Amino acid sequence: MSTDETTAVRADDAARTEGRRIVLDRHGPEYRTEFVDWAKRLHAGPRIAWNDTHGGYWFVNGNQELFDVARRSDVLSNDADIRNERRGYDGINIPASSKETRGGVIGGFLEMDPPVQRYYRNALNAYLSPAAVARWQPVLDEITRAAIDEKIESGRIDFVEDLANIVPAVLTMALLGLPLEDWVIYNEPSHASVYTPIHSPDHPRVMELAMQMGMSLFGRIQEAKTDPKPGLLSAVLNADLGDHQQDDMEAVGVIMLLIGGGFDTTTALTAHSLEWLGEHPDQRERLVREWDTLRDSATEEFLRFYTPAQGDGRTVSADVEIDGVQFKEGDRLWLSWAMANRDEQVFPDPHEIKLDRTGNRHASFGLGIHRCIGSNVARAGFKTMVKAVLDRMPDFVCDPAGTVHYETTQVINGMRYLPATFTPGKRLGPGLEETIAKIQRVVDEQRLAEPVTVRKERATLG
Amino acid sequence: MKVRVDGEICQGHTLCAMTAPNLFALSDEDGHAWAINEDVPAGQEELAREAARSCPEQAIVITE
Repeated sequence: MSTDETTAVRADDAARTEGRRIVLDRHGPEYRTEFVDWAKRLHAGPRIAWNDTHGGYWFVNGNQELFDVARRSDVLSNDADIRNERRGYDGINIPASSKETRGGVIGGFLEMDPPVQRYYRNALNAYLSPAAVARWQPVLDEITRAAIDEKIESGRIDFVEDLANIVPAVLTMALLGLPLEDWVIYNEPSHASVYTPIHSPDHPRVMELAMQMGMSLFGRIQEAKTDPKPGLLSAVLNADLGDHQQDDMEAVGVIMLLIGGGFDTTTALTAHSLEWLGEHPDQRERLVREWDTLRDSATEEFLRFYTPAQGDGRTVSADVEIDGVQFKEGDRLWLSWAMANRDEQVFPDPHEIKLDRTGNRHASFGLGIHRCIGSNVARAGFKTMVKAVLDRMPDFVCDPAGTVHYETTQVINGMRYLPATFTPGKRLGPGLEETIAKIQRVVDEQRLAEPVTVRKERATLG
Repeated sequence: MKVRVDGEICQGHTLCAMTAPNLFALSDEDGHAWAINEDVPAGQEELAREAARSCPEQAIVITE
């Protein structure tokens, strides 16, 4: 069952979508460049619209409506049923990639429904709770210090390539229990597979890199079965899934979800925030001055404004009426976290960044049972990197000519390059390679990747 | 009906307090939730169930 067929056979579609129809190409570059105009237009009209692109799908754009719809896991499915064993649903992408081209891999538990989705989350909880993440702060500080030390004497840095790509990637490797030096294998394909359009001449090379990443991961999974190490990888392989049988491809999908979630999102948030701080030196000085009081509200505000993961698709799994809309089983719908975050009914001056915004109920981590499992990791990584930049290169100036945003926001609102110059400073310690080797020893010796239920102490870096 | 939040499992998603602000309170520091009253006030049972259903960590324990 394709979405086209679904919409074709429904005689009552016209009535259901009457007065709600829009034509918005979410995958086009204009959606990114004209985002504020789109937000104003959508919020002036129906807050649950019917988008006549990509086979037709509901586009939930109002904040309250998103809250009402996204939590209805009783009538929404994330299932990517690539073997047509259930109802043939197509997961969270719109348009859906064909089942055949997925190569047997789905997007981990983000493309599963309960109870298996819940089993996986239960298995990972003790690795990612606030208390569990706090244990890693010394490691985050040290990776960040080393990445900045690589550039501090030169007065030049690319905030994406030299900082925001590195720190989340190395930490994610550590959380997984994979060798830290493997971050380079996963780094480029994790970002490039998000920003490279299918029609790009570079696409075959990116697919080749992604294939190498999958092969490496597959090998690591086999190793972990015979020689288990603490971390999320072992937790995934040993999760209590009830009657459900996990195969290797399912495990690959879950790990790729954790890698995708851990890498590109925090990179995108950090880069955009640094770009804005560079453009608003008065606000940057204020953030430096009032870091202790503004740190948390500023983090939530950057999350709201830039919404790294722009939205998620769902399939309606039962006929239901929500907020006056008649949803039918099989309908696709898009939960636009990005649009909900710019709703003037909830956020005064929604298109302005206010570092001290209070009561910031943004949707950037999603809403409902699939809400981001790594939100605490993301916040910690972001705050660590931004603080280090403000401390060590407080006068940085970004170079707009070299700045490159992702062409579209179809998956992630990300950046490829953000070059900047600053007054050079002194190194504080060894470079990245030596530091990663040192942290690897600490991770192994102190078994840092154990769940917080097993190991409660923070990391100690000698 | 009784309700409590398992503090070991709660990750601070804050959805319970968004769903049922009269039933759950949040830590300013990391969004950890707790039930304001162990006993759910009459008439708020469905809200409590709704909060439990939409908790991403399934950290809310309800005893009928």
